[in-house]
Amino acid sequence: MRNVFTIAGKELRGFFASPMGWIIMGLFALLFGYFFLAHLDYFVGQSMQAQQGGGPINVNQFMIRPLLQNVALINLFLLPMITMRAYAEEKRSGTIELLLTSPVTDVQIILGKFLGVLGFYAALLAVTMLYIGILFVFGNPEWKPVLTGYFGLLLMGGCFLSVGLFISSTTKNQVVAGAATFVVFLLLWIISWLGQSAGPAVASLLDYLSIVWHFDDFGKGVIDTKHVIYYLSFITFGLFLTLKSVDTERWRG
Amino acid sequence: MIEVQHLTKRYGPVTAVDDVSFRAEKGEILGLLGPNGAGKTTTMRVLTGYMPATEGSATVAGYDVFTNPIEAKRRVGYLPETPPLYPDMTVREYLTFVAKLKLPGSVSRSERISRVNGVMTKTNITDMANRHCAKLSKGYKQRVGLAQALIHDPEVLILDEPTAGLDPKQIIEVRDLIRALAGNHTVVLSTHILPEVSQTCRRVVIINRGRVVAVDTPDNLTQQLKGSATLYVQVDAAGADAAAALSTIIGVRQVSEHDRREQSVGFEVASDTERDIRRDVARMIVDKGWGLLELRPLRLSLEDIFLQLTTDENQLAGGSKEFAFPFDGAQGDAAEAASESEATPNA
Repeated sequence: MRNVFTIAGKELRGFFASPMGWIIMGLFALLFGYFFLAHLDYFVGQSMQAQQGGGPINVNQFMIRPLLQNVALINLFLLPMITMRAYAEEKRSGTIELLLTSPVTDVQIILGKFLGVLGFYAALLAVTMLYIGILFVFGNPEWKPVLTGYFGLLLMGGCFLSVGLFISSTTKNQVVAGAATFVVFLLLWIISWLGQSAGPAVASLLDYLSIVWHFDDFGKGVIDTKHVIYYLSFITFGLFLTLKSVDTERWRG
Repeated sequence: MIEVQHLTKRYGPVTAVDDVSFRAEKGEILGLLGPNGAGKTTTMRVLTGYMPATEGSATVAGYDVFTNPIEAKRRVGYLPETPPLYPDMTVREYLTFVAKLKLPGSVSRSERISRVNGVMTKTNITDMANRHCAKLSKGYKQRVGLAQALIHDPEVLILDEPTAGLDPKQIIEVRDLIRALAGNHTVVLSTHILPEVSQTCRRVVIINRGRVVAVDTPDNLTQQLKGSATLYVQVDAAGADAAAALSTIIGVRQVSEHDRREQSVGFEVASDTERDIRRDVARMIVDKGWGLLELRPLRLSLEDIFLQLTTDENQLAGGSKEFAFPFDGAQGDAAEAASESEATPNA
């Protein structure tokens, strides 16, 4: 476990030691900020209307939930940037030789890398909490659904990241890794659109496969084990593929 | 300490290493010598557990690298061809990271720090401790790579072209360091620079096209393949036609002109091995009244042996035509440094 944290720490440090990490963080904050503003504007408009007729509307339901759902969209664009270098860069620069000839197992390396990128993603989410904090200063939202929402985001991001790691482990070229990851994320994202034009059975299947669909309940403040298990098994599968990819590479030389 | 048995590695249809076997005893320096693409790096990668062998086995410090990789890797320090440095890290951060990775969990923080400081002193990089790896010169990168390989005080050191890209002074430093490490560590180093092997290694494994073509000490190899002795003789302009006279000396087989300059002419004089013709040559030149500028034996260098072993059979009969001039630059910087001591004229 110590080795896992050593590698995770190295990965995490790598983001903050290079401009790339700060650029990703800046972009994330910027995009989230835009969505925050757009939703806030909409929410203010809605609540004006609501005041004229009926009671106040819920800030969790009308503002925070759709806002957090939009993070999935930001993830689509920015998470490939986080994972693309994870393996590809080590393979290009030859530092992978250091890792593979150190007394650590492949599983430890992969878990370390995964925790490293997940840690950085968590840091990105932490920045967005500042925006949510503003809502707490000026309003009175419930904090529990916010927390489950973030928990869901972390799991959803984990799925994307595990896929990204796998793709990065198949190439030496970060740009190829980044582009391929983006395409795969996009497919995982639009898979549920297909369901809308299909029959009910197929639709529910495609919904089930869609990473984003499983986030819904988290946004509502519900932690359903069904979704947690889906995300965890998705992550495990992604990391398993990475392990196999690293192993194959090793045999092929 | 290291035992490689019938090691074969195929990349798809390409056989990179073909049935290679060799041993290295504790404390010795073993040189893997071969032209580029001979399979040196592949052999080392198998030894370090970086990749598995297709067939055969490799044992390091008593542990099979395939069945017991973690234990084997704990005892191996490896410097790949390009030092595996993270550009964003400072030298100290990098070495601390490697120390955490390679030292067992029981090693305390203070012990780790002293290890890092220790290897930095040993490889003479302390003044670069806070420099980012990306900003280091080639020589420093190489030394940081070496420091990285030494950090867990491994029983076995595997160095893939440790002196590549260094300047002559650094090469000598690195060689001295490697020699100093032998004894406590078993060292396997690969190179295609020949003087390096004769200077640092106790035993040489010559590999060509994935196969072992010779295993012996550098001296024995030289002895074994020595068919004739050759002298290099340089006289001043007065002796421009010395070739004919030189060939009359008893024992001389062949005289050929090697270089002709305005002030001097150089000859290559081949003779029977059992006869030392140096005195006769010198006496004759002085008797004739020519100015003797240089007279030195051209030993059949490892380079020639190497060429003989790695070129086709029909070329084997041909003698050496390659001279290792101190500053010829044919081998780049490495040869310059190396031949300073090797090619001293002993006239």
